[in-house]
Order: sequence, then structure tokens, then C-alpha cells
Amino acid sequence: MALPPAKALAAIGVTIREALPEDAVAGVAPRWVALPGSTSEVAAVMRAAAEHGLTVVPAGGGTKLGWGPPPRRCDLLLRTRRLDRILEHAAGDLVARVEAGVRTEALAAALAGAGQELALDIPFEGATIGGTLAAATAGPRRLRYGTARDLLIGITVVLADGTIARSGGKVVKNVAGYDLGKLFTGSQGTLGVITEATFRLHPLPSSRAWIGLTAPGLDGLPDLAALAASQAEPSAVEIDWPGVDAPLSIAALFEGVAAGERAKAAVASLGLGKTAGEPVGGTGGESAAGVGAACRLPADAGDSRGGAPSIAFEPPAWWGRLPGEEFLLEMRVPPGAAVQALAQVARSAREAGDVPVRVRGSVVSAVLHVALPGDTHAQQAERFVSGLRSGLAAHGGRLVVWTAPPDAASRLDRWGPVGAATLMRRVKERFDPEERLSPGRLPGIPPSSGRQSGGGPPSAGRPSAGETPSEGRPAGGGPPSGGGERV
Amino acid sequence: MTPAQAELSGRLLPILGPNGVITDPVRLRTYECDGLTYHRATPAIVVLPETAEQVAAVVRVCDETGTPFVARGSGTGLSGGALPRADGVLIVTSRMRRIIEIDVDNRRAVVEPGVTNLAISEAARPYGYYYAPDPSSQQVCSIGGNIAENSGGAHCLKYGFTVNHVLALELVTPDGEIVQLDAMDPGYDLLGAFIGSEGTLGIATKITVRLSRAPEVVTTLLAAFRDVESGGRAVSAIIGAGIVPAAIEMMDALAIEAAEAAVRCEYPAGAGAVLIVELDGPEAEVAHQFARVEALCRETGAFELRIADDPAERAAIWKGRKSAFAAVGRISPAYLVQDGVVPRTALPKVLAGIEELSARYGIRVANVFHAGDGNLHPLVLFDDAEEGAGERAERVSGEILDLCIAHGGSITGEHGVGVDKSRYMPKMFTPEDLDTMQLVRCAFDPKNLSNPGKIFPTPRLCGEAPGVRKGVHPLVASGEAELF
Amino acid sequence: MNPELINDCVHCGFCLPACPTYTLWGEEMDSPRGRIHLMKQYVEGTALTPEMAGHFDACLGCMACVSACPSGVQYDRLIESARAEVERVHRRPVADRAFRALVFGLFPYPRRLRALRLPLRLGERLTPRLRPLLERLDPRLAAMAELAPPVTRRVRLPRRVAARGERRATVGVLTGCVQGEFFPGVNAATVRVLAMEGCEVVIPPGQGCCGALSVHSGRAEEAAGFARRTIETFERAGVDTVIVNAAGCGSSTKEYAELLAADPAWAARARALRFADLAEFLAELGPVAERHPLPVTVAYHDACHLAHAQGIRAQPRALLATIPGLRLREVPDAAMCCGSAGTYNLFQPLAARDLGDRKAEQVLSVGADLLVSANPGCTMQIAAAARRRGERIRVAHTAEVLDASLRGLPPTTLGRAREHTSGPTSAERAQ
Repeated sequence: MALPPAKALAAIGVTIREALPEDAVAGVAPRWVALPGSTSEVAAVMRAAAEHGLTVVPAGGGTKLGWGPPPRRCDLLLRTRRLDRILEHAAGDLVARVEAGVRTEALAAALAGAGQELALDIPFEGATIGGTLAAATAGPRRLRYGTARDLLIGITVVLADGTIARSGGKVVKNVAGYDLGKLFTGSQGTLGVITEATFRLHPLPSSRAWIGLTAPGLDGLPDLAALAASQAEPSAVEIDWPGVDAPLSIAALFEGVAAGERAKAAVASLGLGKTAGEPVGGTGGESAAGVGAACRLPADAGDSRGGAPSIAFEPPAWWGRLPGEEFLLEMRVPPGAAVQALAQVARSAREAGDVPVRVRGSVVSAVLHVALPGDTHAQQAERFVSGLRSGLAAHGGRLVVWTAPPDAASRLDRWGPVGAATLMRRVKERFDPEERLSPGRLPGIPPSSGRQSGGGPPSAGRPSAGETPSEGRPAGGGPPSGGGERV
Repeated sequence: MTPAQAELSGRLLPILGPNGVITDPVRLRTYECDGLTYHRATPAIVVLPETAEQVAAVVRVCDETGTPFVARGSGTGLSGGALPRADGVLIVTSRMRRIIEIDVDNRRAVVEPGVTNLAISEAARPYGYYYAPDPSSQQVCSIGGNIAENSGGAHCLKYGFTVNHVLALELVTPDGEIVQLDAMDPGYDLLGAFIGSEGTLGIATKITVRLSRAPEVVTTLLAAFRDVESGGRAVSAIIGAGIVPAAIEMMDALAIEAAEAAVRCEYPAGAGAVLIVELDGPEAEVAHQFARVEALCRETGAFELRIADDPAERAAIWKGRKSAFAAVGRISPAYLVQDGVVPRTALPKVLAGIEELSARYGIRVANVFHAGDGNLHPLVLFDDAEEGAGERAERVSGEILDLCIAHGGSITGEHGVGVDKSRYMPKMFTPEDLDTMQLVRCAFDPKNLSNPGKIFPTPRLCGEAPGVRKGVHPLVASGEAELF
Repeated sequence: MNPELINDCVHCGFCLPACPTYTLWGEEMDSPRGRIHLMKQYVEGTALTPEMAGHFDACLGCMACVSACPSGVQYDRLIESARAEVERVHRRPVADRAFRALVFGLFPYPRRLRALRLPLRLGERLTPRLRPLLERLDPRLAAMAELAPPVTRRVRLPRRVAARGERRATVGVLTGCVQGEFFPGVNAATVRVLAMEGCEVVIPPGQGCCGALSVHSGRAEEAAGFARRTIETFERAGVDTVIVNAAGCGSSTKEYAELLAADPAWAARARALRFADLAEFLAELGPVAERHPLPVTVAYHDACHLAHAQGIRAQPRALLATIPGLRLREVPDAAMCCGSAGTYNLFQPLAARDLGDRKAEQVLSVGADLLVSANPGCTMQIAAAARRRGERIRVAHTAEVLDASLRGLPPTTLGRAREHTSGPTSAERAQ
């Protein structure tokens, strides 16, 4: 190790600069920022980092960089924004191969030229493909198309030691070898740097139509599960609930040649379904037997509080957007328990002293985001999170805390119990034995206690509550820098 | 019984009872191969557990004694994925076939691994649901085997593979722990990594699958073409029109001949290729798409179209396709099946290439394939009684895979690598790619006991602890294995 | 065991879910694929071990695998030759041999069966008390006692019955052994239905066993003897079409030419006679007689030797569908054997009982008034399984149902006599 780290990094010929205050990762400031322009440059950076024992946090557009616990340490922030080429769009094969730093908007625009799309709804502007994969972001249409892992067919990654590895390929159907793409989707930058991805695409639907309606409250919610399961085949069914005492907005998306027609049919069936006494929320197999029975509104639907169903060819303003970013939770429950989960949100909010919450997401794929105000009192936040988590657990659900204000974050268990924590830890140890990649950001590993050697039942891998970014330095505390500079 | 067998059975009998342990040599030999008979090995012992706890206890015995184990469901795999180890235990899940729950509210079913793929759909049918992945062997193949192979099927063009339909798994890890993987859990997608790992990361003992709503309408069309080329043009035209059918399947003349001999499917006479296109979904969408598909087929040269609207007519169209593999037994004493994939747009070139190979080696090749996703199933026909025919067939088979790789495809779309195609893996992946995949293997199975010798051409030693390297292992010294 | 037939199997496993013993035990060697593998081992030189013989014995011979096989493996021929090889090479334990001798010395001989009628009538009352004793002695004896149907009055059939109305055909009728002795009403119904549909019916006296039990148990020589005698009987009767109403007999008589292949003269004589199942024949002939309404809900059970061995599934259903007022229900998992399988429930009583229990459960699940089948063994088996569950299933042969409709009888006349409670009532005896 003849050279000091800064010199060694400079010697590999990749763009490296000193970090700026705005480069901080969840409050932890890096020392340097690397801007490689190709997979082999990423590998060179990673080899140099390995040689000098530097910790690395990969970053794309930075839209979700603050999600999850802060890294324990961050010497080098590896930005993929220069990896911004769309390498291949085989329109006839409905496949596209892109570099990780490609912005999702840029990709969408390029694909639209051929009447195609990557059927992921990304709730951010400026998000990159790599970051979208690493955070496993998906939106309303997960109901129809699945999430990022379902659309990814090939991936190139660079490991902590600089090894370049590929899995999958550029054909939709392929079972040769392990699917590293799945493993890296949602890995939060802890296993390696994603540098390239290949996706299966879908034809752009020739038209889209949204049904919009409001329900006065949870009790007045129509049978959305039956709508989702109906043969009218909506692509998404979402709700927006601005507060536990507010009415709920519901929107369902239909895509296809006959989108409007199908939306109308679904609305008609909503009207038809005014049979009193029908249970709301249950989906007995018989009751979901056709479009006619797809969605029933309770008898009071369309009254002064609940608006009549409408059809629009544009989405509502809240569609596909997160309810907030400062203090954001994600609920995942089995679809049959979605309404109970919403009821649990209201109950936990009340029990925590009437915390204001806003809920948005898919009631039928049962992934819902809950936003709290950034100034929520830490104790209240803690009460809300633990109350909601145990309430959801009773229905087989999970609760993840993506972002939280610093004082609340220090008291919160981010992940809750993780079934296979031991196995996850073992995977991490194999891929990154020195724990230099986004250390402390992986579920199941207490961020400051270092590696645990196996043993114990998997459920014992529950992380401890204390997640103080003790080793990280506060944002802005890094060395002063004159900005982009080729060192 | 060898002393090793006796010792193992002595430890396994208390777990499973005499009815669950097979040591008789004649009986053991019936387990020597799965659906691919080309590779054979008689297992040292076969066990037939009935519970996850029994599976875990058996695996713990294997872990403690360093005995390799292989899991097997219905034994229908076509890559030798369930090929036993002569020195190992074969864990057969055929007695674990309870459908634990059909949970309509949550649109899911919970089943044991020995349940057949079709049995799930049948159990869900009264509620208007079904399990979407439908490999051709769906009436036989077990869901546990589907998990291992990430099975697809004719309808995966629109609906995806096993991995897209599994919500949770209970698995026995190679050290005998029972672990729950759930798609809702935060953290690594171990569920996604496990599915398709061909039994090398452990044994699934309980499986939660998503149930799908039966579509409003299903329309199936059979189009007969004079040759494969015009059929291929029809496929491109359909996809190019922005239509994603539930399935697009093609059979060439030889495959049609076999199916005709087996099940009298009565496809149009004189067809050089038939295309089966199935559209499903809301009636309004299907009606529109169907009109387009019909027109596109006629434009590209279809000389006869048959349309099925009801299940009986649909079954008649599918009958020939579904039986095609086994039906080849009627026109050839022996055959090899390949499972290569090419980008759809490369189909015409690759098919021409296969024809050329067939002519060059004097080996007939019947083509049955999932045209929509470019997954070829060339059936390489030969007479094993004929001197050298087997070798020539092997060569044709291998060169077909080379052709697939050269066109940016894959060596396997749904059958898995198993023992049969592991030697082709280095043609598709670099040593670094394979090493990286094996990091996952080492995390799950550091002792390399779970279905060893499958997928990866070269065994890798995982080392005592990650990042720490000790003295040279004898296998490394002898050149039989490499260390990371 | 012809190696070429063995090699037809490509090991795809499509037969597994169709196989009753695989369904029961989940073991490869008790599946058709596994048994073929055992045969392969044998022809390649492995000795025939008791284990191997046991797996061949455990096969019901239901031939569901033949229907399921996409490669056209002739498992029926394979298993018959395997059984013959077992008989030739394998020495069974003494108790097994004694029991087999009893069965093969009894069932194929109508006169001996007839001699059994009196003890059986006595036994009807004794059976409940005798059962535990028999069970301890040998479950096979218990199975035999349990299956025995209640004894009904003998029916003597005339030698010749004229066609009703215009004569459309002349046919012989095979009366069978078990059918003839225990279900004489079925033969009578068969003859009446044929006559009413315009057939002149010839019923030669002195018919023996057709050989089905023997050929399905690997006793080919014995079977060939029965076959020659049956052919001779019908040649003498001067018919060229013989109607068979028992599924097992139907499939074996259709294979006479293969059974007698070693002797070309006999094989030619076999080919000259056409054996046809009643439903198959009636479906070809087409209905002329008037069907009277028969308001009854019927579950139709596919006898394996009809559905799998002869491929006759649609015809009986179509015949039943011609009856006004009759509602037909399909039994779930219809292709699965009930466990009767000729002599199987005698030799493998435990497996047969498990299969019978499954079948009875499924039959009962469809809520039919009457179970209709074309094989005496099946109806005995399923009725016995239902009794074990404490339930009753009324059973009838397709011929009896058709007969009732043609004669305008009420549905209550069907299946009454075979309820196994306290034997026939005095009123029924007086009929």
C-alpha cells in the first residue's frame, strides 16, 4: 500500500472529487465521490477501495439514498450518473439493456418511441434504473406487472473486490444459473454495485382510463379486493387517505384498447351492487364470479360525503406519488387484510396521541405507504410504529421504516422481525466479507455491532433498536472541497 | 448393504420408520434417473418423509455425516436435476402432498412440495381461481420440483414463471434448519434467489403460491402454415402489433407427425407448421386482439384457421402440443430434448441453422417451441441401436445450444441446467460470473451437500470462513476443485 | 417381458398420478414407470426377488396408465407377461399359494360358485360376528366375506329370446361367472334390453369363465383353455357377435386372438367372433325402443376394464342420457380405480380397501341416488366401502337402468335388492 487512498484513487483514471455537504448519505458524509463512466471503471474504483479498506456507498439519482438506516461509515460515494447509456433496445424482442445510471424518465421517453414501456411506476423524478432496482421501488401497476424483480431479466454487478459478474441474459425466459438479479433487487447497495440491467418490456397500452370515487371512511369502503380480482382486470387499484378522519379517495386504472369501456362497465357494476346487506371486504369465491359482482358499493355510496364514481383519462394528482418523504413507513400485508391494516393505522394513530398520518398505496397488492409529519415527537413516533407493527403482525403483515427524522430514527426499529436474517447475513458475509459496502444498511444485522457469527434460530436475528449512526460524521462535517475536481 | 449404507439407515430409520426408508437394491434402482434417462446413478438410500420436521432431521443426519443429499419430487425433470448420488440420500417428497389451504381472501394456496402443479389449480377452480404457471407436465410434476427449476410453461409469455407466483416458502437449509422466506420480508430477495436454484440451496417443504383469477374469456386459435418460416413471420407480426397473447406455441411437421401418432390430434393435413395462439382477458380486449391475430395469420400465409371458444375445443387443440414430448417415443426409439432460448427475432435464423445441422449430421430434429418467448424445444431423434447415432445426436444437440448462445440466448429456458447442461455453463458465463453465483451457494450450503454436481461445471470449495483462507484442500491440490 | 415394449417407455412419469398404488403410497416402484423399470432390471439379468414380485402383484391392472401414457406404452401386455413370469419363476409363501388356489379354483367356475350360495346365505347373518376372527386369521378371507353380495334368487335365462318388433341383429350373450351367479338380474336385464332394441338374443347354456381372472393374474395357459371353450360355445350357438356386460370379461374376450396367438388356427377362430360391450353395441345400433321417464340422479362409475382397457367412456353416458328425467353426475377423479380390479381386492385387501374408501367418499360426494357401473366387481367393492362408512349406496348396472326405463318401471326398483342390511325382504323374495 504505497500510495495514500486519495492518490491511489486518482491513479486509476476515474473521475473522483472531494465530497460536498450535499453528498451526505442519511446524515453521514463521505470523503470522496467517484463518478465512473463504465462497468470496468466501477470495477477499478472497487478494486482501489478494496486495496485501501474504504467503505463504499453506491448511489444513483440519490432520490432514496436517505432511505433505511444510515451507513456506519462512508469513505467513498460511488455515483452511477455517468453510466447513462441505453445500450440496446430490441423492440422486436420487447427487451432493453441499459446502464444503471440511466434516468427512468429518459428510458421511458426512448421506449415510448417504439410504443413500449418498462411497466414500473416510479414515484420519483430523477431516479435511476440502478437505484430503482437497489431499492426495489414499484408503484400502482405492481398488481398487473409485478415489481422490478419481475421485469428484470439480466444484471451486471461489480462486487466489493472489483469482480464483474453477470447473471441472466437478454432473453425473457432463462433459468441458467442462479438469478443474481433477484438477489440484488432490494439489496440497498449492500452486496455490490449494479452497473447494467436488462428488462422485459410491455407494449404501451393504447388507452388508459381511471375510475375515481370517494368513500366517507373505512366502513364505507367498497369491495376493492373483488374489483381487483374481477375479470375486468384493472391494472391498479389505489387509495389516498389524507387522514384517519378524512374520506378516502379510490382510483382504479384500466389499460387497453377497451380501457374506457371496461372502466364504465366496472362503474356500472358499482352501481348495480347496491344490494343492501352484502358484506364489504370479503371475497368469497362465489361473490367474485364476474364483472357484475366485481365491486359493490354499500347502500350509502354516492351520498353527500361519498362522491359518485367518475371516469377520467388522466390519473388523480396523488396517483403513484408517495404520501410524504420525511417520515415514511411501508406496510405490507396479505391482500385480504388490507382493510384491517388501514383500520390498524387509525387505531395506532389514535393510541399514539392522534398522530396525523397520510396513507397511500395499493389496497389490493397490499403495499401501502404511511407518512407522518417530520416534526412528529419521537416518543409518539415510537408508540405509533410499535403499535402498528404488532397490529399488522397479527394479520401476517410487516412494517418498514424507510425514513425518519433523526431523533425519531434513533429510537425506531427500522425493519421489525426478519424471517431469514441469519441466511441474509451469511449471504452478505460471502459477498462482502469485509463489510465495506453500505455497512449497516442491511436488515437483520444490527448496524453497529459488527458481524455476528451464525447460530441461533433465524428469528433471533431481530435487530436491536438502537441504530445511532455513531460512527458516521454529521453532514457537512467533511473536508471542505472546491467541488468537482479530478484528483 | 454396504457398511456406510447400514450406518446411514440405522440413523434414518428412527426418523422415518421402516416404511419411509428404502435400502433394497432392486427398489433403489427404480430411482436411478428422473425424466432424463441419459444420466443414471442408484442412490445409497431413498427416504420418503411426510413432514418438514422429518426432512430437517434427515438433512441434519446428512450434515453431521457429510453425506450428500438430493431432493426429488415426481421425477419428471428433463435436465437430470434429481439425479441421485451413489453415495448419498435421495429425499423424495411424493408423500408430502397435502393442500394445506386454499385462501381465497388472500388469493393464495398453501401446499406441500409433493402436490402436483395441476392439483393446485383443480383445488382452486371451484372459487374461480387457478395457479398460472403450467409446464407441459403439469398433471405430474410437483410444485417442489417447479420451485427448484423455476418452471414456466406455455402461458409464461404473459403470466411469468414460478418465481413470479410464489409468495412464501418454508425451506430446510442444508444444515437442517427450517427457515421461512416471505416476499413481504424486508431485506434480500432470498425467495427469488432460491427459486430456480435446482435443489442446491435446500429443500422447500411448504409453499405459498399466488392464485390468479380465471380470465373472463379464453380464445384459442390454431393456424396451419405451409412452413415454419411463415409461422415465424406470424409470431413476429403479432408481437410487433403490441399484442401479448397468453401463449404462442409452434410445432413443425415432424412434431405434428409424432403428436398425430400419439393422440390423433387431427391438425390440418399438409401443415408444415402449426401455431397455437391463445388470448385471454376481458372480453372486449380479447375480441379486438383476436381480430388482429386472425388477420395477421392470414396475411402471413396461414391456410387453415381453427378457433376454439370452449374448454373441450381448446383441449383438442392443446392435446397435440401437450403430449408432443412423450409422443416422440412413437416415431423414434430415442431422442434428446433441448431447451435453448433465443431472442424471438432470431427465431428464423436459428431454425434455419438447426435444419442445416440436421442435414449435415443425418439426424432428424423435431421442433416444438414456445415461439412467443423464443424458447426452443428441439427434439433430436436417433436410434440408439445404430452405431454412433447417439454421439451424432449429442453433437447436434450441443451445436444447437452453441447456436442459441451465439444469438444472445440461453442454454435453458425452463428445464434447468441440472447435470445435463452444466458443461455448457462456461459458454454462457465467465468464471467470475459462476464464482459469484457460487457465493450464494456457499452462504446456504458451505459443505456442498445439497444436490452437489448440478448447475456448476466445477465444484468450488467455500472455505472455513469467508475471507479467511487456510491450508490447501486435497481437492484443490489434486486439481479437482478450485478455491475462490 | 418384451424388451422392445419396455423401451417404449420414455420415463416421462405421466402415468404416476393415474396409478392407484402410486396415489396410495407415493413410491416409484409401485407406479407403472417404476414397475416397467423393474421389468427392465429383470430382463437385463437381475433376479426376480420377492420384493420385485410384490410390486407386480400390487398392480391392480386397471390400465389407467395406458390411457395416460402419451408414448403408447403397452403396459397391459407388459404387466400380463410380468405376472406370467412371476408365476413361472417365483415361489410364493405357502399361505399365499393356498389362498390363490382357493380363488382360482372357485371363481372361474359357475357351478362351484353356485355351491357357495347356501353357505353365503347363512354367512350373511354370521359375517358381522365372524369378521374380527377372519381379520385376525387373514385379512384376505375377511375381504372375501365382506365383499360377498347378498344372495338373490337365481334367474334361469332361456336359450333364445326373439327380437321385439323388427329384427335388427342376432347376438349371443356372455353370462359370465360372478355376474351370472351373484347378479343374475343384470343378465336378465341385458337380454331384455337387447330384445326390446330389436335383437334376437342367443344365450348358449353351459358357458364357463371367459378366462379374465386367469389372464389378468398371469395364468395364461389356464386362460387359453377358458378362451377356447368360450369360442367353441358361441361358434356352436351360430352367432358372430357376442355381447358382454361385464367390463373385465369384455376386455379379455377382445384379446382372445392375442392370447391364442401361438396357435394360428385358434387365433383365426378368435378373430372371426366379435365380442362387444353392451353399451358399445347399443350405441352403434342406435335406439328404437321407447324410453320412459326415470326420475333418478345417477353417478356413473367408469370401470377400469371398460374405460381404460376398452376405451368405452362416452357410450354408457350417452345411453344413460337418452333416458328422460335421468340426471347424470360425474364422480371426481373418475379415472381412478375403485380397488376391486378382478381378484385384487382378494389378494391385496388392504390396498383395495383404501382405494375403495376413497372411491366411496367421492361417489357419495356427488349426492346421487344410484351408482351405475358396468362391472360387478366395482359395484360390490364400492358398496362394501360405503357400508364401512356406515352409509348405503344403491348400485345398478347400466343394463338394469336402461331396462327399467324401457319397461317404465319406477326408479325405486333399481338397486334395492343389493342393499346389504338384512338381506332381501320377504316381499322382494316373493317377486
